[in-house]
Amino acid sequence: MSKYRGIVYASLIFFLAAGNSILLLGYPFAADHNDPNAVNSIFSDIDVSAADLYDLFGWPSDDTSGGEKVVLALTFASVPKAGVFDTDMLYRIKIYANERAVPPLKDDHSLESLLKYFDAVKDKYLHLKAAEVRVKVGQDDRAKVDFIDFPGGSFSQTIDTNKAVTVQSADGATIKVFVGGRDDAFFNDLPGFFRSINYAPQFYHVPHTMTDVRELPIPKTLIELEGNKLFNFDPQNPQHGQGVKLDLPQGPLTWSGKGYLKDRNGNYRFVYSGKDAQAGKNVNAIILEIPLGFITRSPKTDRIVNAWGESWVLKASHKVATIPDDRRPLMERISGSLKGLFSSQTGVEAELAGYKLVDTDGQAFADAALNEREDERQIGGNNFWLAPHFVTRLAHLGWGFGPSITALGLRTSFDHDNSPISVHRTYDSPILAFPRAKKVIFQELNMPDNKWNKKGLNIPLRRSFEIFVPNVNYIDMDTTGTWPYGRRPEDQVATRFLSLFLDMEAEINGKKYNIDMLGDQSLWNHVAIEPKTPPNPLKNDKEFLKQFPYLAEPW
Amino acid sequence: MRFLKPTLIAVTVIGLSFPLVSMIDRKSGSPTAYETELSRIQKDISDLKDGALSAPLDVAKATRFAYRVYQRAILSGNPADLQAAESAIDRAIGEIGPLADLYLLKANLDFRLHRLEKADRDINALSRFAGNAQIVALKAGIAFQQGGYQEAKKGYQSAIEKNPTWDNLARLAYWESKFGDPDLADGLYRQAEEEISAKEMRSYAWVELERGLLEFNRGRYEKAMAHYRQADKAYSGYWLVEEHIAELLAAQRKFDEAAALYKKVVARAPRPEFQQALGDLFLFMGKEDLAKPWHEQALAAYLESAGRGEVQYYHHLAGFYADVRQDGAEAVKWARKDAELRPNFITQDGLAWALYRNGQFPAALDAMEKTLSSGVKDSHLFFHAAMIHLAAGRTGEGKRLLKTVAEINPGYENFHVHR
Repeated sequence: MSKYRGIVYASLIFFLAAGNSILLLGYPFAADHNDPNAVNSIFSDIDVSAADLYDLFGWPSDDTSGGEKVVLALTFASVPKAGVFDTDMLYRIKIYANERAVPPLKDDHSLESLLKYFDAVKDKYLHLKAAEVRVKVGQDDRAKVDFIDFPGGSFSQTIDTNKAVTVQSADGATIKVFVGGRDDAFFNDLPGFFRSINYAPQFYHVPHTMTDVRELPIPKTLIELEGNKLFNFDPQNPQHGQGVKLDLPQGPLTWSGKGYLKDRNGNYRFVYSGKDAQAGKNVNAIILEIPLGFITRSPKTDRIVNAWGESWVLKASHKVATIPDDRRPLMERISGSLKGLFSSQTGVEAELAGYKLVDTDGQAFADAALNEREDERQIGGNNFWLAPHFVTRLAHLGWGFGPSITALGLRTSFDHDNSPISVHRTYDSPILAFPRAKKVIFQELNMPDNKWNKKGLNIPLRRSFEIFVPNVNYIDMDTTGTWPYGRRPEDQVATRFLSLFLDMEAEINGKKYNIDMLGDQSLWNHVAIEPKTPPNPLKNDKEFLKQFPYLAEPW
Repeated sequence: MRFLKPTLIAVTVIGLSFPLVSMIDRKSGSPTAYETELSRIQKDISDLKDGALSAPLDVAKATRFAYRVYQRAILSGNPADLQAAESAIDRAIGEIGPLADLYLLKANLDFRLHRLEKADRDINALSRFAGNAQIVALKAGIAFQQGGYQEAKKGYQSAIEKNPTWDNLARLAYWESKFGDPDLADGLYRQAEEEISAKEMRSYAWVELERGLLEFNRGRYEKAMAHYRQADKAYSGYWLVEEHIAELLAAQRKFDEAAALYKKVVARAPRPEFQQALGDLFLFMGKEDLAKPWHEQALAAYLESAGRGEVQYYHHLAGFYADVRQDGAEAVKWARKDAELRPNFITQDGLAWALYRNGQFPAALDAMEKTLSSGVKDSHLFFHAAMIHLAAGRTGEGKRLLKTVAEINPGYENFHVHR
């Protein structure tokens, strides 16, 4: 989901390139900071990078012939193009399996206990040794796939890209692998999400120096604010924010209204359109179908597969070693080659030392909504230090989304003191934020029905704090793997994320609120709102495949 | 032992195969990294031109256009491109207004052209972003140029704390190379290299040049050459790398190779300082007739620049008159102008040396003492100091300084250019 980090990535690096380093000392040199960390597909002047991870899907395979298998699909920017890979990149999917834990903090809903819980998870997590699938694509367009530190051992295989292939481990496990271009499996009203959080770079040309002008200090909301000229839908310019950007106005970038916008019929205006902003777009992907028995020696008890993805870019110093040096005398070149043959600098660790970590992706929306898409917070599974921020950020979002949910006649899990209007409020400390967001953090997220629990086991409903810390895709092998028990391609996770702010104790039409409720068209048919649509599209622009590699062919 | 022979053959074949493969990989006539990047920038400029220059102005395109034109100037090293960049930035500001990004670009340009007051004003216009690491680093750079060395160091350290990027590390490394420990400087440069990805090979090459210069300034030519070769390998075809190599070849007394390379550099990046360097080399070789046209071209360009109101070549003019023409009065004139704009050890050294050439030994001594009080450690500067002390009758101190020069850089008498 790191595509939503979007703008913050841009930072100032573009202009840093303008010559700071050159002018260190008066030398004519410009730093070409074409750095994946500066990647931002929204900023027109910074190229998309192959390091920009998009999504990590993961679910128990529906095909159980030959035993249980887990499917993992890491998607990222299709640079240079779909099906063609950047040979300076290295991708890792880290995997570890463990038992399903007894739900923590069942009755103790205090901040102190929550923070202690995060500490305990951290200790456990940091001592785990995750196995890894490492992928690099060479100049010959073939992918070297390393399976590292699995209980069944480590092995490597070089495969063709853009073809589903089957590889065998030394212990006989059959693993399906696909490395190639695919349709972007994410379907989402991205501009709607940005409108809801008043995210200026989606709508305006925001100078790179103005890092404080990203999420503007305007209340977040699901329905438009009266007089919010900066972000409200403009019928005169309907594409504003959907490809059309305007110059950033000179005036105050704030809002001083009192209520929500209503049309002449008394309808609110939804910030969402329900349209798929990713339609027709491609990604590059690494897709795996791995037997659970290859991931753990105890597949009967280790029912949870945790996974996250990482992108690494080759360091310049290591790239230069691969550039042929034709000026060297022949004998020197020969001796250099021989040295390389017998160098102790081999192995997976040595290889990784030649790369820099750029991006991580684990849990859907962990980056997008909780980490404010900040580059320095792209720390992968190890996001424990963000735990206090998790509380303050949820409270900040709650002050925006909560009142707008109430205005729609629904019940919210956020305590906003019956505020009639969304409020822009930030917190420095979790102490004040926690009481407001307590229910958002601790409430169990109801599922729409029992299909997810395919074996009818006693599997507890998940809660926000368990979902987002650590930042991993948590795949429960006894479920269908639908979010938040994994993530299936067909899951509408953007809408499900919004449901964190619904009061799961409330009922509608005799049924408890649930994570898919906001995706139910019949709900919106009865709400005084335009357009009457679920916030995000209900399905992908291309049908997913029923068999491996599951994600659809690229456009 | 019957396996020995086949093993040796196998090892030899494997060993040979790599260089052969690499030779096969290399396509003769394929563009260098420098050419590839320059043509990409040129293409961007062409693509952006319409949106950037025609009404209604597209802010993003206009900003990017200005940046790309600037980038081209930096990359090409062509003074005409630099003028075009300045025009593009000014035009964009004039039409768009005081956009922060453009002001940062302008501040960098002004800084580069030694217009420190202007750069400072540009930065002040960005006061809203004062905490930004880029702004902090640029302010520190201005402080450095104005002689505020400790303030500069603090600024560089602060920038690193905010954003430990390679360029901020390189800034601190440069500071260390001048006022601290060269080994520490090299360590910082190495750290900077660790932060540079394969997508920034030019940046890596630049840091390698800096590391090479550290060695060069200590007379360690083989080590310097290794860094320069590494830079060339990382980013092929770059005149800046070749210019460093040319200087080193000349220091190694490989004069013909050096001259040939300088000519190539001048053809690609027709900058007067390179023309002067080539003239200096011929002079060093005792070929005054060959030196003359290059020196005349260089001087004409320096003076033309100054005539346009530009200030970036004042330092070169002072050095030129002091060392090439040995015209002390003219040297002092330009050195004073330079020192007024940038009161730092570089310009104060230039002024001291110009005064020395003009026979004003007590004044030269004063200026040099001011220079040395900065704490700078530089063999060429110490050599100037030694000469001035000797001329002023301070023989003991002059000899001590000469000894220090030789300790720092045993090759101090070899060919070098003033950077």
